Parts: sequence; structure tokens; C-alpha cells
Amino acid sequence: MSGRDFTERDIHMALDGELPGEERAAYEAWLNANPEMKARSLRYAADVEALRTAFAGVADEPVPARLTRAVFGEAPARPGRFASRWWLAAAAVLLLAIGGAGGYVAGLSGSGTAEAADDQLAEEAIAAHVVYAAEKRHAVEVPASDRDHMEAWLSKRVGLKLVAPNLTGDGFDLVGGRLLPAGNGSAAMLLYQDDGGDRISLFVTAEPAASGKGVYAHGGDGPRAVYWLGKGYGCAVVGTLPEGRLNAVARSAWQQLLAGVES
Amino acid sequence: MDDRKAAIVGEIPRLRRYARALLRERDAADDLVQDCLERALTRIDNWQTGESPRRWLFTIMHHLFIDRMRKAGRRGEAAMMPLDSGEALAAPAEQFGNAASREIVDALQAISPDRRAALVLVSIEGFSYAEAANMLGVPAGTLMSRIARGREELRALLDDSTRRRNIRVVET
Repeated sequence: MSGRDFTERDIHMALDGELPGEERAAYEAWLNANPEMKARSLRYAADVEALRTAFAGVADEPVPARLTRAVFGEAPARPGRFASRWWLAAAAVLLLAIGGAGGYVAGLSGSGTAEAADDQLAEEAIAAHVVYAAEKRHAVEVPASDRDHMEAWLSKRVGLKLVAPNLTGDGFDLVGGRLLPAGNGSAAMLLYQDDGGDRISLFVTAEPAASGKGVYAHGGDGPRAVYWLGKGYGCAVVGTLPEGRLNAVARSAWQQLLAGVES
Repeated sequence: MDDRKAAIVGEIPRLRRYARALLRERDAADDLVQDCLERALTRIDNWQTGESPRRWLFTIMHHLFIDRMRKAGRRGEAAMMPLDSGEALAAPAEQFGNAASREIVDALQAISPDRRAALVLVSIEGFSYAEAANMLGVPAGTLMSRIARGREELRALLDDSTRRRNIRVVET
């Protein structure tokens, strides 16, 4: 018998070459005696291999001249030191991760409180808005010109009767819609745009239990989400409009959604 | 001085790979590398010859990455992006060969930056736990739990995407 019990932690250590050599044989024996742990270790090993493969080519790419120049002091002036764009992309991915992984974690922990559902809905809606409203050509999957099909498709996939609100009275025309993952399954995102090019999005998902309403923002000049949960719907309107105008548009969207359900 | 600069240039391919794994998009990753190199040059006197340039540079880059992620996340700065710079976000993962690679690259982007960095340093860059913990400025125990959680989360995301794909096929 070996001197100690092994745990899942040892799977990671073994994979990363951190398991002391003298424990290796006992570890292998433990794996062979625990098929579930063995399967897990094989999956993790395959994931590590896939990660290495995915990035293997990067180190062999020719180095861009601007990076070599940066070291030898011949760097061309860039607009604003450390003001490069990379962190904008990173931040959007972070927001997306909050939506995606957050939903996953909430699902795992069985968190069903209204407050958690609120935050999750708002985070997901903001993340979707940040990513897709910034898209010029690929913002939506189905354009407004195909509205009937879009409503039927999204209703079916989200599992709710979904009527795209008409917001022309508020100055916004429908651009189209797309299907997104959400904590509870799927969500529909409808994108609208005004004459000045400002965009807002309406995020709708099934929310069987929770009810409530509120406003959610990360702060600063970032987008706000005005949301409601009720009647089986979770709904958020996201945009960077002045608060009064966003609230008005959101109210109008919610009323039409509900009217659509009852019609 | 030029020896040091040559040593730094020699690390660029590895720095680019680390940055690409952290950020996925090529231009964004190279911007991060460039920020890192510029910062390193302002501190070149802090770097003792004999010390590994790799660890020194990776540490600098990691701190730049985490600082920006935290600030951006807290302040919601991504939101201020003008509409027409959206192409940076849309960058398809075509740089990453086959579908399996794209899938794992996407999943890697969806886990938290702290876990992502720990996982990449150890799994892709091959640093030991002690080296990675040192670069990230965390105790070894924290590093280990980031790696374990990161791998679990990555696997769950991949399982999830397999499930979604299967569901879609059935419904079509």
C-alpha cells in the first residue's frame, strides 16, 4: 500500500509533472483502481494536448517587425501609450465570460433566488450588447426584413411567445435578431437602431420563477440594462442612452411584449 | 545593453504565444506584447543579467494583462468602444486550424482571466508550479486551485458545447 491517499488534485500534479517520482507508481495503481478518476485524468490530458496543439504554431510565426523595433528603440509612435485596443477586446470577452460561465456556475449551485436571476439576466444582456451591438455587418443572424420568420424561430428556440416590439415611436427601427446561450438555456437578442446610429438591444429569455425589476450597470459611461422578470419572461433593454430615454423605450418594449403574449 | 536587448527579442515568440492564449485575437495579443516590451525597456536596469529574461518578461506581461482586465471589468470600459472598431471582437478564430482547436480556444477565453493565465503558463508554456506561482505573485496553493478549477471549467464548457451541438443536430 502507498503511504497516502490520492485525490483529484494529484491528477493535475501528475499531468503537470509535479508529482514526485517515487509516488508515481502508487498513483498509477490508484488510477487503475478508480475508473472514474482514470477517465477524468485522460480527459484532462487530452485537453492539455489540444491546448498545446492549438497554440503550437504561434511561436513559429515570423515576429512582426513592430515588436522587434519596439525593443531596439525605433518604435513608431502609437496613438496613446498603453492605449492600444487589445484590452477592449479582452474586456468584452470578460463580460461574455461573466454571462457564460456565470450562468454555468449559477446552474450548478442551484441558485434560484430572484436577486441572482436579476444579476445574471442583466450581465448576460449587457455582455451580448457589448459584443453584438458593436458589430457592423454581423450584428444579427436574421434581418428585420425577415421579421415573421425571426419571431417564429426565436419563439420556438427560446420557448416563449416572442413578438418583436415596434419601437419606431421611440425613434428605433428593428435591425434584426439572434439566438444566444443564456443561463437557463437560450435567449433572443433583438437589435434596434436610431437615425443617429445609436443601438439598443432587447434581450429576452425564459425565467419561470423569478419576478422583479430594476436597473443594472457596471458604472461609468457603460451600457445600462433596464430589466424585468415576470410572467415567465426575463427581459432586459440595454443601451447607453440617457436614463430617461432608455426607461421610456424599455417600458414601451415590455408593454408590447406582454400584449403579444396575451393576443 | 545590446546583449540584453537581444535576449529580450529572443523571447518574443514565446511572449506572443502566451499573449495569444490569453487574448485569442492576433492584433490584440501583439499589442499586449508591444506594451510589455515597452514597459520592460523602461525597467531594463532592474533586470540582472543571469536572471531568466523569460520569467522577467512573462511576469511583466502578466501584470499588464491582469491590471487591464480588472480595470476594464470594473469600469465597464468595453462599452465605450466605438461601433466601427467592432471588427476586433469579431476576429474569427481562423488562425487556429481545425474545429477542435477553435473550440478549445473559445472555451479558454470564457474562463476567468486568473485561471486562464495559470492554466496557460503551466499547460502551454511548461512552467513549473513554483515558477508560475512566482510570476503570478500568488502562493503555490492558490496556483494549484486555479489550475484545477480552470481545467474543470474548461472541460465543462467543452462538454456543454458538445451537448448544444448535438441538440442542434437533432432539432434541425
